[in-house]
Amino acid sequence: MKLAGSGKSDGARMGIKMSQELVVVAISVILFLVFSATLNNFLTQGNIIAILKNVSILGTLAVGMGFIVVGRGIDLTMVAVMVVGVAFSIWISTWGVDFTLAVVCGALLAAAIGLFTGIMVAIAEIPPIFATLAIASSVYGSGRIVFASDVLYAPSNIAWLKFIGSGTILGIPMVVVIFAAVAALMGFFLRKTRFGRLVYATGDNPNAARTTGLPTRPIIVTQYVLSALIAFTAGIIMLGLVTGIDTRLYNSSLIYDVLLVVVLGGIGLSGGQGGVRNVIVGTILVGILTNGMTILNFSYTSQNLIKSVILLGALAIDAIINPRDEQTSQSGDI
Amino acid sequence: MKLFKNCLFAGLTALTLLSAANVTTAQETDQVGRAPYLESLKGKKVIFVPISQGMDLNQSWVVVWQRHAARYGFSIEVRDPNGDTNAGIRAMQGAIAEKPDLIIVQNPDVQTYARLLKQAQAAGIKVLQVNMQSATQTDSYVGNDWIEMGRLEMGELAKHCTGPNAVSHKVVWLAGVQTGAANIYMRTGIDEVLKANPELQLVSDQPADYMSEKARQITETVLQQHPDLCGIMGIWDNAEVGAGAAVAAAGKQDQVTIVTNGAGSATGCESIKNGLLDVIFNFNSPIQAEIAAQQISELLQHPERQAGSEKTIFFGPITRVDKTNATGRNCWKLDELK
Repeated sequence: MKLAGSGKSDGARMGIKMSQELVVVAISVILFLVFSATLNNFLTQGNIIAILKNVSILGTLAVGMGFIVVGRGIDLTMVAVMVVGVAFSIWISTWGVDFTLAVVCGALLAAAIGLFTGIMVAIAEIPPIFATLAIASSVYGSGRIVFASDVLYAPSNIAWLKFIGSGTILGIPMVVVIFAAVAALMGFFLRKTRFGRLVYATGDNPNAARTTGLPTRPIIVTQYVLSALIAFTAGIIMLGLVTGIDTRLYNSSLIYDVLLVVVLGGIGLSGGQGGVRNVIVGTILVGILTNGMTILNFSYTSQNLIKSVILLGALAIDAIINPRDEQTSQSGDI
Repeated sequence: MKLFKNCLFAGLTALTLLSAANVTTAQETDQVGRAPYLESLKGKKVIFVPISQGMDLNQSWVVVWQRHAARYGFSIEVRDPNGDTNAGIRAMQGAIAEKPDLIIVQNPDVQTYARLLKQAQAAGIKVLQVNMQSATQTDSYVGNDWIEMGRLEMGELAKHCTGPNAVSHKVVWLAGVQTGAANIYMRTGIDEVLKANPELQLVSDQPADYMSEKARQITETVLQQHPDLCGIMGIWDNAEVGAGAAVAAAGKQDQVTIVTNGAGSATGCESIKNGLLDVIFNFNSPIQAEIAAQQISELLQHPERQAGSEKTIFFGPITRVDKTNATGRNCWKLDELK
């Protein structure tokens, strides 16, 4: 089995990635079988589509986050960029700007924020966790001051937005198609393009990459611009689904859920390894789990507890299978 | 002659008395009690600690109160914690330390500020709670009767989902935040209706955290399990549009009745017109704000009354809004309130 672009032939490394991913796949399969056997209407086409539809936003964001983490970064601005970018689009459309044009402006704003973040990380060399934490807060705060309201609604007569929210292609909801397209493009990008290989190289050992003459700074800047645009795409998915955008999502645990999916799927925070497949594996586990617990009508508290225990379990099993040694811990965490 | 003198004297006396009387009426044209009222409000300090100023109801409250404050010369400051409970605690502590004449508070849940409110009352600061109560009762509460709200909403579903013509007896309760006052008390009202209508089946009872996307996800999942679902009730119109979107995507808008409550802003009416929601029990937040403004005036007028010595409750009116009356004053816009 060829692994998603680790660029290493090191057996130990390969074992780590495989096992973490396999543990999560195994847990997903077990959960899927248990729910299929015990819950009515779990194993139906409608419910499987509902699972995919319900993780489309989380999954899209996680693809962007995974892309950044592979390059040994972290992007905590994603949820802020998502809500502020889309809210900005709605806000300017209320002045009479055509909505489609307003969305383009929103995307440009998101890209500009991504560019700024990239510059802060790559050129000012502020550690990404601090840079993105501060920028997220500033972006959200500015948005709050400008828009005044938490919830902004899109105009109700936009055909393409309705199609995103409720349209289907070959029976598959448009939002799932968009998530799949973003994931496929990112997968192709990371594995098949020179740029993708450079991202892995930079993530694996930034100093070595720079010493050998790779353009690491432009690479990092481009990464943050792309992740901001992916975040904006997730926001458009949300707007299609529920007709409005709620900027209070910034205050929710969404950004941590996104990180969780990435780490759980097996992309190490030390960078240079993993790929889109890991993100999809992590996303699907969270999707199956949430869906099953919603059907079982578990209380909010017990849902959080069960989710935490399963996630902790996956990480613990991985730690047991792959005890840390000098080689695996040398790159450290963020 | 004497008679003439007497008459003249009497006339003069009468004139004097009349003019004197005129003078006194001129002095008394000031409305009774007006001067002390104006005096009691002037220069007073009021601090409002909301849950988040980004919500429609909060914005309408503050517009009304600021107008009231500008008219009578007291100050009102908003300390917005923006949905962050820890920031809210800090805002409350700061407000208590400043010793204003009145603190207005919208509690994120029943426990978080409970001790702080006791502290404020002990420090002699009067406290008015709006729409979301704390476990600690203070000088005044103005807002919804949430138990009644739960009864109204589930009662509405009972109308549609009981009897021989009902699609099914299955209903869903999309809660908000389980520790919030609205949530806790609505549940009491809901349970009363469920007890009175034993055929109603509550098939799902999950909090959507006031988020439309979460409400959509829960609804979509529940609809897969129960394709014959009859009704959904929620806690805030801006969140239940998500439930409406899931029902619309499933093509079940005629089958599923969606009932919620809201502040009465125009966006809620739009959601009714778009078919995302069927009924909103509208608590008209601008009217709530006027009632609260009356309470502000009352509390500031009586510095002699000790903080916490009297405890007043006032539940505002609730209007049932559907397609037939989603117009006019049932759909306010913030700019029109200003």
